Order: sequence, then structure tokens, then C-alpha cells
Amino acid sequence: MSNPDPQQQQMIRDAMKAIAERKQGRSKLVYNKDKRTIEAVSDNAQTARALNITAEDADMFGVATLSSQWLREHWADIRRNRIAHVRFNSWDDGDAFTQVDLGPQSASTIVPGLILFEDHNATPDDNELHIVLAKGLSSKSQANTFEAPDGFVFSLVGSRKIAGTEEPVEINLVEVQPALASRRAAILETDLLRDKSVLCIGLGTGGAHAAIELAKCGVGNFTLVDRDRLSVGNVVRHPGGISQVGRYKVNVLRDLIREKNPDARITAVPTEVTFASQDKIKELISHANVVICGTDNRPSKLLINKLCVDADIVAIYGGAFRRAYGGQVLRVRPRQSPCHECFVEAMPEESSNLEISTAADAAEIAYSDRPVAVEPGLSLDVLPIANMVAKLALLELVSGTDSSLKMLRRDFDAPWYLWLNRPEPGTQYAKWPPLSESSDEMTINRWYGIYFDREPGCPVCGGFFSVVASAHGLDLASLGTVPSAPAEIKKPWS
Amino acid sequence: MWTSDQRTRFDLEHRLLQQEGYSQFSIYHNQNDDTYYGFGVATTSSGRKYNLYLLIPNGFPYERPSLYVTDPSPLLMFDGKPLTVLGYSHNMHTLAPSNGYVQICHWRDDRWRASILLHKVFLKGLLWLEAYEQHLATGRPLAEFVPTMVGHNEQS
Repeated sequence: MSNPDPQQQQMIRDAMKAIAERKQGRSKLVYNKDKRTIEAVSDNAQTARALNITAEDADMFGVATLSSQWLREHWADIRRNRIAHVRFNSWDDGDAFTQVDLGPQSASTIVPGLILFEDHNATPDDNELHIVLAKGLSSKSQANTFEAPDGFVFSLVGSRKIAGTEEPVEINLVEVQPALASRRAAILETDLLRDKSVLCIGLGTGGAHAAIELAKCGVGNFTLVDRDRLSVGNVVRHPGGISQVGRYKVNVLRDLIREKNPDARITAVPTEVTFASQDKIKELISHANVVICGTDNRPSKLLINKLCVDADIVAIYGGAFRRAYGGQVLRVRPRQSPCHECFVEAMPEESSNLEISTAADAAEIAYSDRPVAVEPGLSLDVLPIANMVAKLALLELVSGTDSSLKMLRRDFDAPWYLWLNRPEPGTQYAKWPPLSESSDEMTINRWYGIYFDREPGCPVCGGFFSVVASAHGLDLASLGTVPSAPAEIKKPWS
Repeated sequence: MWTSDQRTRFDLEHRLLQQEGYSQFSIYHNQNDDTYYGFGVATTSSGRKYNLYLLIPNGFPYERPSLYVTDPSPLLMFDGKPLTVLGYSHNMHTLAPSNGYVQICHWRDDRWRASILLHKVFLKGLLWLEAYEQHLATGRPLAEFVPTMVGHNEQS
């Protein structure tokens, strides 16, 4: 081994320190391809057959992400105590640390952290993250600069002691909501959605996906209703993952929504939609701007339909056909467009074509001597339907405002939308022409908006009594009342 | 408990039963507990008589009413066993029995809609009883004598 050149060693030391601190140094590191070693050269040197080594190449230290908003909210305490405790999720063997308060998802390892003024003399424990508030602007980047509510500017310098050695940790201060909003701002006026409320009933694959899409758009208030817990079988379709199995779907979705929209206000209601729970559902509907119904049985859909029409709240019903060979979306604008009761009256077969995705669903409609097959579809075949549900909900939420989406109202004015993933054998769609050959005919993988009329005699949104009375030559004013129960007819059970 | 629309619906249903030729059936109001139910004695083509009891739920007409044979009880099959042992049976077009009474599958929940009038429900009950008697005579499943709607969510 040759004697190291002391000058070269000093230059390497300086260059490495500069890289670690992300500062401009007097020397820089290069990889000399001829010598096949790393060496230090003066910063302005032009080196042939050598590669400059950047901070990214040398990036061996973790990044800690901290909320600026949290710092501002706790600033008074931090300034008074000169120190604050904060916890971080530790991801990827300590490569990334994310402040626990930023979102609901937890890492398997939580690392304690201290935020302290530079005059504080706390000694860091092993593994503990130290974030020192140093007065003045950072020379490195804006990402670790914090402007306190009292007007002072601080640079945040992070470190972590591991096995007695202190390692630098890059600090990344984030402004969550402005960053999220800026990504949506080109398309959506997100302020319009912050105060809007969506009631999502039924959080299977479709309903859950639609809710998450609306959260990404910036909808600020969600009420989630579903009676089911996430099962292992759900995981291949549902946004919830294997680590969430056993939790109520409403709670899984609450966390997934918060991952996308941390400020969303979410109410989770783990309950079943039945006639017994209708008062509770009615109350929830009264607070919603739009209701999304992703339940998988007719009685619940028709109950929600009745309650929404009575409350004059727009409801959007999405559902996949069996094995998700296609699906449909019905939007009900009360007393303006056909309601779900009109739909089952007008199109009984279409309205009964439901996906049987779980054994529990199958058991509910099976006979003891005739089982019903479980025929779930693929998630990718359900998602087009869920996306349409979310889009129609979005249009309803911005209706009446000067949103740039208003142009879409002329395109999405049909009450019923049909989508086919494949020309399923045995269905009326089996003979649809191939996608590649059709120009005018209906094909798979296209949305069709379909118009149909309200039922004049609809019991929910029409004049049921007058239509029936007229059809049977009755005068509603002189119907009489039903007779009182005779004593001899005993109730067969109490 | 009941809305004015529901009470009007009961009045209309009762009137239609009387007017449309189903006067052996009536809708009754039990004033003691403010419940409504349907009841009547059905006579089959063979002259046998059966009591049909229509349990009307609080959610009617949006919630499906349940139709039971309350007399004779127990209702026996061809082999002499009570029909209720089959429970939810496709072959016999029955839904879950209650208190030992056979529940006739007129419309399933997934086929029910609020515009279905109750005289249609009683008509289905009459058809079921005719098919039941064919079952007694032949030993064949009741489903062989009444049509079944095709589809996943079948109506019995």
C-alpha cells in the first residue's frame, strides 16, 4: 500500500464534508476511470475521463419529513420549552422518517424525535432523531427552512445517533394541503369541494374506490357506511390490503382517505342499511350533498332511493354485473330524472343483474337446495364503473358553481350509464362486434349514456295513488279505511 | 309509526282486493298495537281451505311483506314430513319458515318493488297452493308446477 498523499486526503475530506452538508466546497470528488479510484480535485477543475460525484451519489443518510403546519401550531410551546417531542414512522430500514402526525398509516418501527433550539443541551439517545432549530436561512435548500409565526426564520438540521455515531438526516419540511391542492388546481377549483359532504354507503371494491377518488379530488367531508369487515378474499379487489384484514371497511377507508386528503373530516358508521336502521340513514343523508350507493342488494338500494328522493338529495348507484362482465351507473336527481324504483320498473332484468362477489352475498340469496355461485369479477373490471360513479358525483358537487368542469354537464346528462368489459356469452351483449372493427355499433370498453323516462305511477317519485286509482276506476277520496282486526283472527305469533 | 302514505296504501290495497275479485282476503288494522296485516281463507280448485296470513312490515311497500300458510299447520309434504323442515327451498318455493308456519316465496327481496299490489301477492299464494296440491298428488317438487324467473336473483 502506497503512502497516502496528505494533500489529496485533506481534499477528499473537505469534498466529502461539503457533499454531506450539500454545500459548495473548495474541492469536489470525481471517479477517475483510468485509475479506477475516487479522487478529489479542485472545484473548478475540468477532468477528462472522470465522473463528478454528486450529493445524490453519496446520499447514504435518511430523510425526515416534518409538517410545517404542525410546527406552527406547536410553536408557542416549542419556543417556551426550547424543546418538543415528536414521533416518526421509520421506513425502509431508516432510509425515510415521516412524522406520525402526517397520516394514519404506521410503520412497524416508530422512532422518537426531539425538536430543539440550538442553545438546548439535550443529549440525543441512541436512535433518536434530533432536529435542531438554527437561526437563519439555510444555505442548502428551502426544504428545511421554517418561518416561525413570530417572524424568525430557522434552518432545521437533523441528525440521528446510531451505535454512538451521529449521522446527518436531511430535513424535509412540507406544507401538506397547499402541495396537494396545487396538483389539482389546474383542473379543479378545490376550494369548491373542501366543504362538500359525500355519504358513501357500501364500501366494496367499487364504493371504496369511488370514495378514494373523491378524496384525491379534495372533497372535504365523508360519511362512510358499511356493515362488513375486510376479509382476506376482499384483498385482491379492495383498496384495503392484507394488513387491514379483520377491520371494519369503514375504518379501513377512513385511513385510506386520510392518506390522500389528511384534512378530510370522516365519520365511520359500521352499520347495515335496513329498514330497521332507516332513521339513522335518513339522518346521515340529510347532511350529505351527494350520496353514493355501492350496496349489492336491491332492498338497500330501494330504501336509499326512497330516503334520498324524500330528502331531495342526488344519489348515484353503481354496480357490476355478474363476474363484472360490465356494469352500470344510475344517477338520480330527485323528481327530475328517473329514480331507482322507476329503473327497476322500467328495466327489471338490468336492475337485477348484480355481481355475487362473496360467499355471504351468495348465501343471502341461495336456497337450501340450490346454492348460488360466487362469481366475483376482477378489480380492473370494476374500476371503470367506480370511476364513473366518482365522476358523476364530482359533477353534482360542483353543479351550480362556476367550475371549469361545468362543460361536462352536457356530456353526462343521461340518467343511466352502461359499460361492458367483454361480450359475455349468454347475454344480450354476446354478439357485439369486436372493438377494432366497429365504427358505429355498440362495443365493449365504451360508456353509453342511456335515456329513459320516469314512471308516472312510481310509488317514490311519481303519482302512484292517482295512477292506480285511475287504472282501476277508483276515487281516492272515497276509498274508505281498512276494517279493524276481528277478534277471531289471532296473530299467528307475537 | 305509519305515514299517511302508508295508511292510504292500505286503504287502497283493501279496496282493490274487494274490487278485483279477491274478497276472500282483506287488509286489517289491529288498533291495539297499530299493526296492519292481510288475512283470508283460500280455497283451492279441489275445495280444500287454507288460511293465508300476510305479515306487513313497517317498511311496506318498500319492504317486502311475508306470506304464511297458518292453517293447516303443520303443512305436510307428500312424504308426510312437515314442509318447514326444508326451510329456504327452491324446489318447494318457500322462504324461511317462522314459528312453524310455511312461508310462501311470492317475490324474493331482490325482485320486490314498491309498486307490486297485494292482490298480486295473494294471487301468487293461490297459485302456490294449487302447485302444493299437485305435489301432494304426484310427489313431484312444487317447482315443477309453477314457473321460475330466470336469472341470478330468482323469484320463486
